[in-house]
Amino acid sequence: MNSAQRSSMTHGKPAKPPCPKPWPRKTPRAVLRPNVFTWQPPNPPAVKSLDLRASQVALSQSLVLEAFRQAVLPLPVAVTSEALELARPRAVAVRIAAPRVRVRGFSFAPPERPEMSGAVPDCNSAASTQPTPPTLAPGRGGTRIRPPHDIVKLEDRLHYVLQPPLEHLLAERALHFPFRPFPYQFEGVAFLYPRHAAVLADEMGLGKTMQAITAIRLLMRCGELRTVLLVCPKPLVTNWQREFAQWAPEISVMAIEGDRARRAWQWRLPDVPVRIANYELLCRDRELLESGAVAAQGESPLSSDGEGPVVPTQFDLVLLDEAQRVKNRSGATSQVVRSIRRRRSWALTGTPVENTTEDLVGIFEFLVPGFLAPDLKPRRMGRAVRDYVLRRTKDRVLADLPPKLFRDANLELTPEQRETYQRAEDEGVVRLSSLGGELTIQHVFELILRLKQICNFDPVSGTSSKLERLAADLEEVADSGRKAIVFSQWVGSLDRLAKQLHRFGPLEYHGKIPPKHRDAVIERFRSDPSRHVLLMSYGAGGVGLNLQFAGYVFLFDRWWNPAVEDQAINRAHRIGADGPITVTRFLTLDTIEERIDFILQEKRELFDTIFSDTTGGRKPRLSQDELFGLFELRMPSGDNPAAA
Amino acid sequence: MQHKRPHSICILGFLTVVEHPEQGLFGGYLLLNHTGRPLEFHCTAPLRPNRAQEILYGPSLGPFLYGEQIGATLVRHAKATPCAVLTDSEPALAMGEHLDVPVALVLPPDPADTFTADPEDARAHLLRLDTAHNAGPTVQPHRTGDGKLVLFDLGRHRLAVPCSCEAHRNAITDRLANLPESFDLVEPFGRIHEAISEARKGVR
Repeated sequence: MNSAQRSSMTHGKPAKPPCPKPWPRKTPRAVLRPNVFTWQPPNPPAVKSLDLRASQVALSQSLVLEAFRQAVLPLPVAVTSEALELARPRAVAVRIAAPRVRVRGFSFAPPERPEMSGAVPDCNSAASTQPTPPTLAPGRGGTRIRPPHDIVKLEDRLHYVLQPPLEHLLAERALHFPFRPFPYQFEGVAFLYPRHAAVLADEMGLGKTMQAITAIRLLMRCGELRTVLLVCPKPLVTNWQREFAQWAPEISVMAIEGDRARRAWQWRLPDVPVRIANYELLCRDRELLESGAVAAQGESPLSSDGEGPVVPTQFDLVLLDEAQRVKNRSGATSQVVRSIRRRRSWALTGTPVENTTEDLVGIFEFLVPGFLAPDLKPRRMGRAVRDYVLRRTKDRVLADLPPKLFRDANLELTPEQRETYQRAEDEGVVRLSSLGGELTIQHVFELILRLKQICNFDPVSGTSSKLERLAADLEEVADSGRKAIVFSQWVGSLDRLAKQLHRFGPLEYHGKIPPKHRDAVIERFRSDPSRHVLLMSYGAGGVGLNLQFAGYVFLFDRWWNPAVEDQAINRAHRIGADGPITVTRFLTLDTIEERIDFILQEKRELFDTIFSDTTGGRKPRLSQDELFGLFELRMPSGDNPAAA
Repeated sequence: MQHKRPHSICILGFLTVVEHPEQGLFGGYLLLNHTGRPLEFHCTAPLRPNRAQEILYGPSLGPFLYGEQIGATLVRHAKATPCAVLTDSEPALAMGEHLDVPVALVLPPDPADTFTADPEDARAHLLRLDTAHNAGPTVQPHRTGDGKLVLFDLGRHRLAVPCSCEAHRNAITDRLANLPESFDLVEPFGRIHEAISEARKGVR
C-alpha cells in the first residue's frame, strides 16, 4: 500500500469522498481525541508496572502535527498506529525457605520403687499421724537438684536437672518429717543427693545429721543406695541411732559393737541398710574390712568359720561424721576408711580445716584421692573444692536463731597465781634456753601446759581468779533457773570446779566418765532443775551433743584451735535454742593465754580464706616457730612440722 | 513405627522457647508423667531467622517459628503422645493448628493467690470468711482484651487457648481433671530452662 492508498484509508476502511465546503470556511476545531496506547506486560503483577505517560506525550505531539495537517488538508485524515515494544522488567526472586530444625532427644527410665530389705515399711501407714510432706504453691519453684561439675555427660546432667524439686520428690514418696525442715536444709539434701564425693561442712548446730539422713533416705527410696556404712566418734553412735529413729524410722540401723566374734557376725549379716561403726572399732576390724575389700575384686573369701563373705563387697555409701578425724593421711584411721570399697564418699564436719590446709587434703584423700595437692595456696584450694564442699553459717541461714553473745572475761591473776606463774615462766624459760641444741617442741609444750594450768588454779594456794568470776556468774544463772556448760581442757580443773561449785549441782562429762553413763548424765542435766552446771572436757563434749537448753557457755580455758572451741559453743547454740546464748571466754592478762589467743585469731582468718571470699592469706599454721616465739625463743635447726 | 501411649495414661507435655541474644531460639519439650517425673526431653539446636524472614513474615514470624517450626517439630519428635501440651509462650500456641493434641498457654500465677497453698504462710495471713462460693471454676471462661485468647481456670492454675481453638479448652479440662492437686503446671518450665541452659553449653 502506497501513501496515497494509505491516506485514503481510515482505520482500514475506504474513505468517503470529501464533501466540498465553500471557501473561506470555518477552521475546524482541532478536537484531539488521541488514541491512548496502553501496554500491559505479559504477566501483569510480575514485579513492576510501566509508566507510559512519557510515551503518550511523545505520541500526542505527533498527533498534534497530524491534526494541524488535517486542518490544512482536506479531511478525513488517516491515523497510523504503531506497536511499541518495551524491555521486559527483571524479576528478582527471594527464597523464603523454612528453617531446618534440628532436634536432640533424651529418654528417661521410669522411676523404680525398690523393696527396702530390712527396712520398716510403715512410712505410709503413719502418714495420718505425721506432719504432711512439704508442698509448694504453684510458681514457687522449690529446691532444685543440680548436678555436680564432675558429671560431664549431658544426658547424665539432664537426669538431675529435669527432676522435680526436692519438696515434690519427698511428697511423692510420702517421706514425712517430725519437724518441717528449714529451706537451707533442703538445699543441703539437694547438694548431697547427686554427689558421689561431698563434704557437708555446715557450722555446728545447723542439722548436718538430719540432712545426711534425709539424703540417704531419699536415695534408698530411689534404689540408688542399699548398703551404708556410717563412721563416727564412739560417743556419737547412740546419737546417730536416735536421729535415724526420728528422721527415718523405716530404715533399720545396726551399731557395730561387742567382742570380735560378735562384730564379725554383724559385719557378715545381710540386708542391713545402715551400719554404724566408730573410728576406733574400724581400726580394730581393719583385717575384716580389708578381706572384704579383696572379695570385691573377684575372690570370695570366707570368714574364719566359713559362713560367707566377711563384709559386703562394696558399700554404696561410706559416710564419715566428724571427718576431721581422718585429716592425718598417714594415720591408721585414714588408711582404714580409704581402704573400704564404696561407690559414694561423704564427709560431715563443721571444721574441715582445724589447723592447716593439710587437714582438708586429708579429708579429700578419702573423697577423691589425689585431687588436692598439699602445696596449694589457701585461696586456690578454696576454689578447687568449691563444688565438693557446702558450708553455711548460722548468721547466713538462720535469721530466727537466737544470737550468740560473746563476753571476753579478761582477768588479772590473783597475787598468789601471779607469783607462782612468774616463777614458773622464768624458771622454764631459763631451762629451755639452757637446753641449747637438745631443745625440742616437747619441752616447749610442757612449759605451756604448766603455765596454762597455773592460769586456771594456783597449785600452791588453790586460788583462781577465773573461779571467782565463774562462781559469781553462775549465781546469776542459777537464780534465773537457767543452765550453763563449763568447758576445760583438763579433767583435773573440772574436778576442782566440781568441788568448788557444788552449790550449783554440777554434773561432769569427760574422759573419766564411762561412755555407758554419759547419756544418763546428759539426760539428768536436761531434766533435773536443780542441776545448773555441766562440766565438760573439750574432748568428750565437743561434738555431736545437743544441749540447746543451756543458755550459757563458759570457756574456762582456751583450746589450741578455734574450731574446737566453736564445736563446744555450738552444743548449746543450735536449732531449738529458745533464747540468746551467752559465751564467756576466760583469758588471764599478760600470760601465755593472751599470746595463744593472738594465734587463734590468725587461724580463724585462714579458715575464712579457704571457705569464703574474704581477704586473707595469713600464716596458715601454728608452727614450731610460733610456739617457740611464745617465749621469745628461736627454734633449733631442723624440720618444721605443724605442732597442733 | 513407635508405639504411641493412649491418652488415658496422663502424660503431659511442656514446651517453651528460649530466646538467646547471640545464638537464637532454643526450643525445649519435656514430657512428664502424672507425678511430675521426666519421661522424655527434646530440645532444638539454636534457630535464628534471617533478615528476609523477619521482613517478609512480619508479625506472623513468631507463631511460625515458635509454633509451626519449633513447637510442632518437637512434639512430633517425641515417642510418647501427651494428653495435652502446655506452653508458657504465647506464639507457640500456633502449634495447635498443626497437631492433634490440645495446646494451652499456662499463665503465671497471681501472687495474691499463692499464699493459701502453703499452710505455713497461711497462718501469717488473715482469712476473710464470706458466704460459701458455688462449686466449680471461680472464673468463667472469658476472652482477653484483644480477643485472641480464651482464659479459663483449671484448679489453682490459669490457662488460655486461642479463640480459634476454643474446643481445646474442654479437652484439656477433661484430660487434666485427674491430675493431682499438688501438680504445679508452672514449675516444669523452670526445668526446661535449666536443661536448655545445660544443652546450650555444648553449642558454644
